[in-house]
Amino acid sequence: MNKKLGLFSAIATGVGLIVATSCLMSLGQGASILGTGFIITMIIACAINILTALSMAELNALMPNLTGGLAQYTLAGMGPFVTILTMVGGYLVCQMIAGTVECAMFGNAINSVFDTGIPSWVFSVAMVVILIFANLRGVDIFAKIQNVVAYVLIGSLMIMGILGTLGIGTGEQVSQPSNLADTIPDTFGLLGLAFFLFIGCEFVIPIAKSIKNERRNVPLGMVLSLVIILLMQIFLVVGMTKYTAYEDLGASASPHILFGTALLGRFGSYWMILVSALAVVSTVNSAMSSFSFMCAGMAKINLLPTFFLKKNKRGAYYIGILGIGLVEIIANAVGLSTSDSLIFMINVAIVFWMVSYVISNINVVIFRARLPKAPRTFKVPFGPVLPIIAAIGTAFMIWNISDDPAQRLLIFEIDGIIFVLLGIYSVLWCKFRVKRPLFTPIPMHEVMAMESDMYLAARRKKKD
Amino acid sequence: MELSKIEIITSSSKLSKLQSALTKVGVTGMTVMQAIGCGVQRGTYEYLPEENVEMELLPKTYIMLIVEDHIVEKAVETIKKELYTGHIGDGKIFVSPITNVIRVRTGEEGLDALK
Repeated sequence: MNKKLGLFSAIATGVGLIVATSCLMSLGQGASILGTGFIITMIIACAINILTALSMAELNALMPNLTGGLAQYTLAGMGPFVTILTMVGGYLVCQMIAGTVECAMFGNAINSVFDTGIPSWVFSVAMVVILIFANLRGVDIFAKIQNVVAYVLIGSLMIMGILGTLGIGTGEQVSQPSNLADTIPDTFGLLGLAFFLFIGCEFVIPIAKSIKNERRNVPLGMVLSLVIILLMQIFLVVGMTKYTAYEDLGASASPHILFGTALLGRFGSYWMILVSALAVVSTVNSAMSSFSFMCAGMAKINLLPTFFLKKNKRGAYYIGILGIGLVEIIANAVGLSTSDSLIFMINVAIVFWMVSYVISNINVVIFRARLPKAPRTFKVPFGPVLPIIAAIGTAFMIWNISDDPAQRLLIFEIDGIIFVLLGIYSVLWCKFRVKRPLFTPIPMHEVMAMESDMYLAARRKKKD
Repeated sequence: MELSKIEIITSSSKLSKLQSALTKVGVTGMTVMQAIGCGVQRGTYEYLPEENVEMELLPKTYIMLIVEDHIVEKAVETIKKELYTGHIGDGKIFVSPITNVIRVRTGEEGLDALK
């Protein structure tokens, strides 16, 4: 493979992969509750995610070029049960929910500008159906412009944030206190929400192979991507507190468009709708495709049923595509358009994501103890201290998933039920299919060998 | 004598990267040979479910370098990082002391023969 991407491209790709339009929903909610106090929350969440990004970079250095990513690290670190529970089940469930929320943003964005009278979910479902067909035909309609769209989105948001911060928008500024947080602990309550703004740095790892001087540029690119996103969001929060009333911001299902309109009038709303609609379609499209690949990758390492490996005539993993597509259609059709329900869905989903991050940080510590001398082209400095801080920090964010105790309990209950179901699946799958002890790690060289297409084929042949 | 021999057995695909990385740490020469061989897995491909009963010799590259003792550690670290993929077959590194080196053309010995 030609190594042609430099640090700048690594950062640009990282930024593009981490930001999704549904993040703007969290941003609007956070700003409406804490005002500029939400900046403290974002800084804490970003710092913890930077530490996790470093851990991911070390795991990638130890087990390079794996397609299953976090699942394979966990398989070698903690064995099949935890892997299926947190990485296969949890992570995939989370991807489904996050994709669903992103779809809902599409319909909301259209209706917030054009007031069509058609329910928002109709637009969302129509988009999903089109994308299912495109993906089933093996056509990645957005592959070429995906990054461009993401950069335009980031650039647009950065410009709008700066205009708002400097107070030079054409709209009228609102008179309201900029900070609503009295004490630092006040800012902790929204850590879960802020976490959603910085997730996804692990998506940079698959492109590591095509990055020049990957040992330096992959971790540096991930960290700088997160810092750039933090800066952009700080500008946006300050801008939002100046131009949008907290009440409207909290109730809006598309706060970026509300802010665009308040800042630059009709022009601002058209600008945001165009950019964000493109970004949503491209994100949902790539999420659908990567979900099917992720399922296939996990089936390859025997953690999911092999039907996920089935391809149609066009070479698409159709079971995964249809699976996530169906979930997105049903969830949107049953009415997922209000900001409250979307935020709730985000919170339910990101607990899984956070758990997978906690496990990844613990994996780093496990491998440090188990393979202290294995050559790592990147190693997180200061021994196991930073991965431990990242794991504790992420667990703290899980605990602070919502500032409302009743809602927090409900989120934990829903996630708990899903985890129990996944646990049952995990035990049965380990016992009857994987046929390995639940908690015995699979040797690293075997996990690496699973990457080969021949691994499963050779075992099937032996069985026959 | 302050010289050591480093012998490396690895897959041939790593050679050019290893060559440029070692140049950067001050290694001034190396000898490379095409070889066949196997290690503890008896040449079993990593994806196979059962290990070979008989040894199967696989194509490998044998690299030999003589370096001053003070760069051995740095050179070995570089070699480890360059060869590492996590897969079976990454290779082995052997380090041993050298009692003398003689440059035939000039008759120089020891460190002088390497400069």
